Amino acid sequence: MPTSQHIERGILVFTIWASLGFLGLGIVLEGFARDSWPLSACGVGVIVLAFVAHIIVNGVCDTGFTQGEALLGIGTYGFLGLVFIASALFGDISMPDLYSGLTLFGMLAAGFLAYLATRHGLRGAFSRFHMKGDDMSFGAGRRP
Amino acid sequence: MIWLPLYGLFYAMVTLYWARIAAQQNGDYQTFFSTAHSLAPWVSALVLAGASLSGWAIFGGADEIAQRGFGLSAVLQAGIVLALPGVLFFKRLWFVGQRLQLSSQAEMLRMYYGSEFLVVFSTIVAVLFAVAFAGLQLHALSGVVQALSGGAVTAAVAGVGLGLLLFGYVVIGGMRAVGYLGAMQAVLAAAALVGFAGFALIDIGGFGALNAGLAGLASDPAQGGRFMVAGVIQFTEGLGRPTGAVSSSTAVASLSFAFALMGFQASPLAAKIVLSTRSARGFAAGQTWVMAGVFGGLVSVAMACLGAAALVRPGLSVGGLLASVSPWFAAWLFIGALAGVQLMAGLGLLTAGEALVRHIYKPWFHSALDRKATVTVTRVVIGLLVLVSVGMQILTPVTLSVLGALALPLTFQLWTPLLGMTWLRWITPPAAVTGIGFGIAGVLLTEPFGFAVLSFLGLDLPWGRWPWTIHSAAWGMAANMAAVLLISAFTQRRGFGADATEARRFLADTLRTSPRAKALSATAWAVMLAWGFLAIGPGLVFGNAAFVGMDGRWLVGMPSLWAWGLLFWVLGLGLIWFLSYKMEMASPVDTGFPAYTPPPRLRRDQRTAEAERLRVLVLTGAVAFALIVLTALSFGG
Repeated sequence: MPTSQHIERGILVFTIWASLGFLGLGIVLEGFARDSWPLSACGVGVIVLAFVAHIIVNGVCDTGFTQGEALLGIGTYGFLGLVFIASALFGDISMPDLYSGLTLFGMLAAGFLAYLATRHGLRGAFSRFHMKGDDMSFGAGRRP
Repeated sequence: MIWLPLYGLFYAMVTLYWARIAAQQNGDYQTFFSTAHSLAPWVSALVLAGASLSGWAIFGGADEIAQRGFGLSAVLQAGIVLALPGVLFFKRLWFVGQRLQLSSQAEMLRMYYGSEFLVVFSTIVAVLFAVAFAGLQLHALSGVVQALSGGAVTAAVAGVGLGLLLFGYVVIGGMRAVGYLGAMQAVLAAAALVGFAGFALIDIGGFGALNAGLAGLASDPAQGGRFMVAGVIQFTEGLGRPTGAVSSSTAVASLSFAFALMGFQASPLAAKIVLSTRSARGFAAGQTWVMAGVFGGLVSVAMACLGAAALVRPGLSVGGLLASVSPWFAAWLFIGALAGVQLMAGLGLLTAGEALVRHIYKPWFHSALDRKATVTVTRVVIGLLVLVSVGMQILTPVTLSVLGALALPLTFQLWTPLLGMTWLRWITPPAAVTGIGFGIAGVLLTEPFGFAVLSFLGLDLPWGRWPWTIHSAAWGMAANMAAVLLISAFTQRRGFGADATEARRFLADTLRTSPRAKALSATAWAVMLAWGFLAIGPGLVFGNAAFVGMDGRWLVGMPSLWAWGLLFWVLGLGLIWFLSYKMEMASPVDTGFPAYTPPPRLRRDQRTAEAERLRVLVLTGAVAFALIVLTALSFGG
């Protein structure tokens, strides 16, 4: 059963993404709809802000991303990335939309790598992907 | 439109996910009602602030400005007047609750005053909030769904859907679900309010353009009254009478409306959150920085912008904005508004269900009910309350509106028993009970509900709603206070029960005011009265011209009353900080204390008495029904 600290962290994370995350998503979509890169970039900025807020909450609670959060984040990123690549290859996508998509996925990828590097160090960040034998516990857990 | 159902589905999933977590933590029913007093202080602070404003800021407050302008200036001070009662009561109520192991307002009133009348009154207030006050806001939301879906989803279907979701998470997770979700809902509602204001400003061309539009309106002699407080008082017969109020924008209308707002944090709903909190450490910060600071700022700035934009251009109302923005934003804003309304509705349902079952049905008719059965019956009652609320939204919206209007003024009457319990030790049980009775009469005789009942009986009162432009909350409190003062003077020799005596002793010993705070008390009174006089009282008339130049132009580029409101919001924040921390009314106290163990009492077998009471209840109900039918037939309804 989750402890009260886990629950309070969960409330904060849900709150951040429900308010900032969905606002950012809306602004990104508005940018796509209006073919406006600056607007999309603002939306990406808000999403990055939500990501940073999530990391701050993790820092305050002395924990990392949970397994579910990591799976959901990477899964969503991968799915949307695929949709974007498919649209770029086979759809009629405008240049501002292309740049907007590249900004979104580029910023998120850079942000994620920066997070790993700051949390685990450059070598440690690499080790998170280079899993050996019984070391398969990606994500959750208290800091050593 | 796919976005609204998509966001709605996501919201429903999140809601049920947290309800499941809450149910696991509850052990299904063990801590269903009170979370085992484990809510984090920051969660409580958010829930209290969110429930206090609920959907009112978006639907009620903004609409008030959109319809009538800035005349009812107390609206702009909602954050401060909502925080004041919390500063006064929460810390002391929490200490009494912890010491005597109480988890609701009804229990406290029964313990301290030994009065079943007060328990029933507190329960009625909770039911009014759950069914009518929240029902009105849900009704408004259902209308928005119908408009957004182009009529594909009718308001009735939307009302049933929203009611089902509400019912689902409250009965599954109890108070814990209300608390966990409440924190998220409060932030979502606040974000939606900012979003609405932002879109209104973008649409109208920015803050400068908004004020240019307001200046244009103010220059029209027919509209200029919307930017003025219409004097201190008008001795008119009240709304709905031939010679009724010319304007409800007087200073005393503002003051008495502020009293009504002050009722919420004295309500059983607020007490439920306070008594479910694990520590009193967060009340000062919650009331000062969350309620008065952040939410107060949102009211004074964002809600005012939203209302003012609709005042300049009526198409920028909440419904108009939702229809004009992109569908993903409309869905996000709608979910925010829904979150605010459901926060208050969920809390109201749980409080009302608990009060009806744990504090009325169980002690009077079925004391053998065990904890599990109590939770089960409460779940059924919550279901019935949702059913009644949704039914009234669909079938009798006018009655819902009439009942909803009673919630705030009636709950303001609870100030006197709460003051007696926390600060004014001279208020005796008979005085508190009689005061509430007089308060109820004062409210009912100045509200449409009272007129409707009396008219049904063939009586017609010579005044209308809110005579002399004074809100029913203030009429009720005038009668309430008069009765309390008089009866307290005559009944000082009457003692309190053992539990109440222990509560009084405990508060006097544990929360003794420090010499420094005592030395500041004269300053505190002066500052509080000065703020009250200028920000929400008769001094509001100075706000008409405070920021107007000799040439009649607004000196700060915005209506003088709005600028006056912003100034006194900042000063009010300082006042709340001063009272909370410097006067130690809500400041953290580091003291441990054991729970009070009452002396053992012999429990008698109640079954015969309970069966008799049930029989009397059924008989009384039948007789009352027959009398109502007879009266309706005789007088024609």
